Amino acid sequence: MKAKNWIAALAGLAALAIFPVVSGNPYYIHLVETIMIYAILLFGLDIVVGYTGQVSLGHAGLFGVGAYTAGVLFMKLGMPFYVTAPLSILVTAGFGAILALPALRVSGPYLAMVTLAFGTIIQILINEMDFLTNGPMGLKIPKPMFAGHRLDEVQYYWLVAALLVVSLIVVHRVLKSHLGRAFEALRDSPIASDCMGVSVYRYKVYAFVISAGFAGLAGCLYSYSEQYISPNTYNFELTILFLLAIIMGGRKTRTGAIIGSTVIVMLPKLLDDIATFRVVATALAVIVVAGAVLALARRTTTPQRVAVPIIGTAGLAVFSFWIEALTDWRLTIFGLMILLVVYYLQDGIVGFVRKTLNLGRVRVTKVDTDALATDTREDDAVSAVGTHGTDAILDVRGVLMQFSGLKALNDVDLTVKRGTIHGLIGPNGSGKSTMMNVLTGIYVPTAGAIEYEGQSLAGRTSSKIALSGIARTFQNVQLFGEMTALENVLVGLHHTFRSNFADVGVMSPRYRREERAARERAFNMLRFVGLENVAAEEARNLPYGKQRLLEIARALALDPQLLLLDEPAAGLTAPDIRELVAIIRKVRNHGITLVLIEHHMDVVMSVCDTVSVLDFGQKIAEGKPSEIQANEKVIEAYLGGQAAQVA
Amino acid sequence: MILLQLIYSGIALGMIYAVIAFGYQLTFATSGTLNFGQGDALMLGALVGLTLVSAGVNYWLMIPLVCLFGLVQGAFVERIGVRPAIKIKSEFGWIMSTIALGIIFKNVAENVWGRDDLRFPSPLPEAPLKVFGANVLPMELLVVGGALVMMLAVEFFNRKTIFGKAVVATANDRDAASLMGINTGLVITFSYALSSLTAAFAGVLIAPLTLTGATMGAVLGLKAFAVAIIGGLSSGMGIIVGGMILGIAETTTGFYISTGYKDVPGLVLLLIVLAVKPAGLFGKMAIKKV
Repeated sequence: MKAKNWIAALAGLAALAIFPVVSGNPYYIHLVETIMIYAILLFGLDIVVGYTGQVSLGHAGLFGVGAYTAGVLFMKLGMPFYVTAPLSILVTAGFGAILALPALRVSGPYLAMVTLAFGTIIQILINEMDFLTNGPMGLKIPKPMFAGHRLDEVQYYWLVAALLVVSLIVVHRVLKSHLGRAFEALRDSPIASDCMGVSVYRYKVYAFVISAGFAGLAGCLYSYSEQYISPNTYNFELTILFLLAIIMGGRKTRTGAIIGSTVIVMLPKLLDDIATFRVVATALAVIVVAGAVLALARRTTTPQRVAVPIIGTAGLAVFSFWIEALTDWRLTIFGLMILLVVYYLQDGIVGFVRKTLNLGRVRVTKVDTDALATDTREDDAVSAVGTHGTDAILDVRGVLMQFSGLKALNDVDLTVKRGTIHGLIGPNGSGKSTMMNVLTGIYVPTAGAIEYEGQSLAGRTSSKIALSGIARTFQNVQLFGEMTALENVLVGLHHTFRSNFADVGVMSPRYRREERAARERAFNMLRFVGLENVAAEEARNLPYGKQRLLEIARALALDPQLLLLDEPAAGLTAPDIRELVAIIRKVRNHGITLVLIEHHMDVVMSVCDTVSVLDFGQKIAEGKPSEIQANEKVIEAYLGGQAAQVA
Repeated sequence: MILLQLIYSGIALGMIYAVIAFGYQLTFATSGTLNFGQGDALMLGALVGLTLVSAGVNYWLMIPLVCLFGLVQGAFVERIGVRPAIKIKSEFGWIMSTIALGIIFKNVAENVWGRDDLRFPSPLPEAPLKVFGANVLPMELLVVGGALVMMLAVEFFNRKTIFGKAVVATANDRDAASLMGINTGLVITFSYALSSLTAAFAGVLIAPLTLTGATMGAVLGLKAFAVAIIGGLSSGMGIIVGGMILGIAETTTGFYISTGYKDVPGLVLLLIVLAVKPAGLFGKMAIKKV
């Protein structure tokens, strides 16, 4: 961290700590306390919404679980704070796991509905199980006791502040670690994550569990802060507020979570006072109009695009003068704000400020390049694989892949010898990519057996297959677009990490060692394919040819025995292809077996040891490149049958 | 006898869920999106219907007017909330914006019609009929009949008319349909309009059986989603069966356990079906292309 950031952080902490003393107003102290509590929850929610890209409408429910765990434990068993707080976290995390189970196979709108259903069930249960929760009457809890001393409002404020700082540090560390990369990866491309050995299912559950844990802590703190909890707090409206806070503050930033939480706590207070609201609405309209005029003058936008926000904010200003009491229109205002943020402020306030101030997201890539340059031979990033003998590494027998009527693969046998480059060619639609998908577990074949290293792959998930040493690239590039090139490779190196959540949270020596080693290797991996100069570039901003090379580097990071390349030369320029061929040979020289699907015949013929030809899902020929070139069936498949010859 | 009676009212309730779920299917087919405010479309339909009836409009005459209102409301949701999201290919965008529109509608309704539940006068006699010894309200029969007619009418439209074929073509392959000169944007708007129409229609059907109010929509919409999932987002038969399962589960739970818990079985069923068979009991699993 830069010195400037340190100073800012320390100043912020100091301000936070002395605020209650300076202010002395219990109302404001309580307000800031609530902001901090919501911020803790939002840190967790951001893991799910910002990083894994899923919409959760169940976080108000989880917040309620945390609050009621603390409330019930205190009411029924009289437990002290240092017991109820950890238990709130654990119980809520458990609920998070239950919530994530149906999420096993769904995402997007389905998951949103599942979480909404979950939140609704929680609210019903809290309401109905009055033997435990006292039903709609609610529970009363006094401020926590420590060693016979009951905390007063200010002392409790400090407790919350301390826990906020701890949460901030833990969340920040987790999200910067291999766990955070896994979360981000599964949002950008779930299939690629699975094929890099990062199980989408498992990490989705992790994300929910961690996120729920924070919601639980926040809930627990909230119950002691309010000293009274009732079921109606944890409703759909609160969930919407949390989501609004995340997207308004800015996804994937901690500052955004804090800003968002400030907005949602202050806004209702603001709305209580119609006069202030009129001023704010007018000011907002003026700002938006001014911004639009400025943008139009600079010609960075068109009148059509600014029309809606101008009309919207102007309408809001007029509206504010038209109505008398605002509290009735709270939800409408929240709804309008969501619409505005979703379409015009997609990166939130933080993203907007960064963009206007032109502070591009600078990602730190902590690799000491000077040290590496001296002591690394170019090749040692890719681990060599022993090539003992010429036995088969992959043995496919009689595989049938049927999609209702269509047999995409029909009784195909394929034997790939260890340490060779095996070409797989055929006209479009002949089943080559289907074969790749069957081999990596994305499709489960209808019939037939696949043996890899003498073991059957039947019933193994994509991520298990990947971890056992089969890596692949994709025909339509499947990079993790919002992550840097280096981070993409680091996701491939995920399997080298043994550290768990606790290691990351406390920055254990084991985690530091693993992270440093992984970063060095990832950098060398990029150097292996010639991308070391773009290590800090976001993958989506790389030119197409470099994206394909990055996919290869990422696949190599898995330390594969067998590398499947699906049309790596597609769309590459001639010099790029030469570079690619050199890389393929280098990979083979490490003893890694390759299966190469390719349409560029010169590439196939120059590098492959054996070539198999597929046509309409069946293998029609196999042999050395020269034999294949002379094979009549192959020529027929590519150039058409006798009719074509006659013509 | 009580069980039979519960089954009857469960079926009537289930058909309402089926109609709302049908609305989810319509928009999902053409655009791959869902209106999270579907329940609020139903609520608006019911309240507008109530206002018309109170103003002296005949119940039967009011239905086409409410349907017209539904069309406009659905088209509005699509234009404001869904179209920009489809343009930027943001799933998060349309989920959030339809939710936002939903809460705006609910809040506006609260301010226009008040926060209390209102009674919707029944257009049919309220004396129950005896069927196999159990009571059936004439209104319940109307709900079942009306729901079936509604769904059949839309199916007929999709299969037999040229505009319906455009809808089906868009559902099958939006890009190809667009290349064939079909204005897919318009088709998607239309599917939203149609979807809100069915919801508004369901609203005026159910309203005389329950109370009408701004909050009636949210849970109905969620449970109808459960039906759409249980039945499968692509199966017409599935939602009818799913609707009945849920409706009966709900009335029996409400009677035998506690009315407080009546929403729980549907939601739990939703969680279980999604965990076990996300394509629904009748749906087909789409093949993901890599």
